[in-house]
Amino acid sequence: LDVTLGTINTVVLITSSLTMALAVHAAQLGQRKLVLWFLVATMVLGVAFLGIKSVEYYHKFEEHHVPGPGFQFEREYFRHAQLFFSLYFIMTGLHALHMIIGIGIMLVMFRWTWRGIITEDYYSPVEISGLYWHFVDIVWIFLFPLLYLIGRHGP
Amino acid sequence: VTDHILPKRVYYTIFGILMLGTYLTVQIAFFDLGRLNTVVALTIAVIKATLVVLFFMHLSESHGSNRLVFVVSIIFALVMMLGVFGDLLTRNPMSLPSGAPAFDISPESHMAPHE
Repeated sequence: LDVTLGTINTVVLITSSLTMALAVHAAQLGQRKLVLWFLVATMVLGVAFLGIKSVEYYHKFEEHHVPGPGFQFEREYFRHAQLFFSLYFIMTGLHALHMIIGIGIMLVMFRWTWRGIITEDYYSPVEISGLYWHFVDIVWIFLFPLLYLIGRHGP
Repeated sequence: VTDHILPKRVYYTIFGILMLGTYLTVQIAFFDLGRLNTVVALTIAVIKATLVVLFFMHLSESHGSNRLVFVVSIIFALVMMLGVFGDLLTRNPMSLPSGAPAFDISPESHMAPHE
């Protein structure tokens, strides 16, 4: 796995968590315009994450590292690698699915804020969407070291 | 839902610490610390996750019941993982893929050779 792309994605996702936290903050204060901007920033960063992820997936397809009949790897580690990449695709795939759902939720929040449903007296939807977004971020905080970093040292 | 509002400064500070943690965990990953590599990587991850939960998710200013739910769910997740680890540590070598030696499950062997 490419540590550089993984690190960039970690930074992107943590930054999106910051913009999400700031969106909730703005919602608490009833700053409608700021909420909209921070929601857009969160969505843009989310899409950027998925974009980088798809580039990584594309590389894996090109290198035949996708588990299945076409899987290719050094003979010595063939089965180990297939197991690893199965886990890699399931875990990151499930995470990416949650990201897509999260972006959908952000779109709804954008619409609600746009239409003035979200006010400083009623910002719970934004706050709860924020909880979801941060949760997806936390999952990535664990996936990144587990998949990209552990076992990286050595020659 | 919390009624208290954190100052913006808190979010930027936490963001800075999270970035620092990301930088550290990537740098440390390239040093060979043996088994400690896993421990260090996961410790940093736990610290980062805790900061996100406490401040971005406002748990630090939540009511008692919310905190209780959070802690209890973590304990139960750990209980579930105990089962997995118990299985892993007591597994018959023959049941590993291709009958590979039981202790040749070093993480390196799972990694792609490039970068």
